[in-house]
Amino acid sequence: MCDIQSKLVAWMDGELLEREVVEVKRHLRGCGQCRKKVALYRQTSEDFALYCGASLNTTKRKASRWAPILAGTLAAVAALFAVAPWRRIDPPPAIPPKVITAAAPAAAKESAPPRPVRKSRAARVTQKRAVEWQAAEAAVQIAIPAEAMFPPGAMPEGLSVIAELRIAPDGSVDQVLLRP
Amino acid sequence: MSDESIPLSLPLPRLLFESSEVTALFREQRKALLRYVVCLGLSKDEAQDVVQDAFVSLQRHLASGGRRENLRGWLFRVAHNSARNRQTSYDRRFAEPLDGQMDFLTDEATPEERMLAKERSERLASAIGLLTEAERDCLLLRANGLRYREIGEVLGIATSTVGDIVERAIRKLAERCNV
Repeated sequence: MCDIQSKLVAWMDGELLEREVVEVKRHLRGCGQCRKKVALYRQTSEDFALYCGASLNTTKRKASRWAPILAGTLAAVAALFAVAPWRRIDPPPAIPPKVITAAAPAAAKESAPPRPVRKSRAARVTQKRAVEWQAAEAAVQIAIPAEAMFPPGAMPEGLSVIAELRIAPDGSVDQVLLRP
Repeated sequence: MSDESIPLSLPLPRLLFESSEVTALFREQRKALLRYVVCLGLSKDEAQDVVQDAFVSLQRHLASGGRRENLRGWLFRVAHNSARNRQTSYDRRFAEPLDGQMDFLTDEATPEERMLAKERSERLASAIGLLTEAERDCLLLRANGLRYREIGEVLGIATSTVGDIVERAIRKLAERCNV
């Protein structure tokens, strides 16, 4: 077993000194066994991160009573764009807080970390889904027909509601408001 | 139906903090903190409480002139200690495989691929269950983006020890999941 093997995970995590990084890189160029280990450790790390993400998703099932409404709303929104472009779609209101931009320089000045902050692995693996929402990171207000959201019989025939979805900057829906 | 609006609040209340620094941290770190304390075994409601309490504590900490270095590590440490105080099901969380919840596959996966992924998920859950508490804590904090130095501060151990623990834990998982 190579002595360098004990440094592979720390190397993957960017936790080694520059001198050690050079040493590991040089070793990896000539050691297929260690390259395989790195690939295996990376896969294991990603799987662990997925497992953590799955833990959070599992608990979300408690709130699943809203899932059909949200899914129906989103489907209806897509359908409206396709077949009824004349419906009113208000422009998204401005995102209120200036706080993000105001806070960033202060935080950087105070604590300037010696190394760049590593992005959460669990966040990285779910990034693909989040990207779709980043583009619409403001609240949206759209009028939709009730039949598109609820199963047959759940709402009186012909009745429509207005669904207001408030989309948080991180892509999650943090409020739904239904109005007749 | 009345003319009144029907508010349907989803369970992610937005907190207002006096400090813009805390608000920015809340936006950046809330999900990672939630994921961490849920993985420690708390229910989502408990996790929400713990995370919100941590940010309220941070607000007080800064207002009283507390240190501003490594606020992310500070938040995780407060949440970790609070979660540990409430925790009742840490071992149970990692002993039970998350049946079908792991997103290893795309929607187009074949039945064979799904079966293999399920087996892999179960092997991983079983392997995680065999890790020591320190190993699990280190991997959880690492998975949520913390540096070894920050993990050491959260758990009260030396940075070099964190490196050893993380290396050992990943090696154990890799060996047990790829037999």
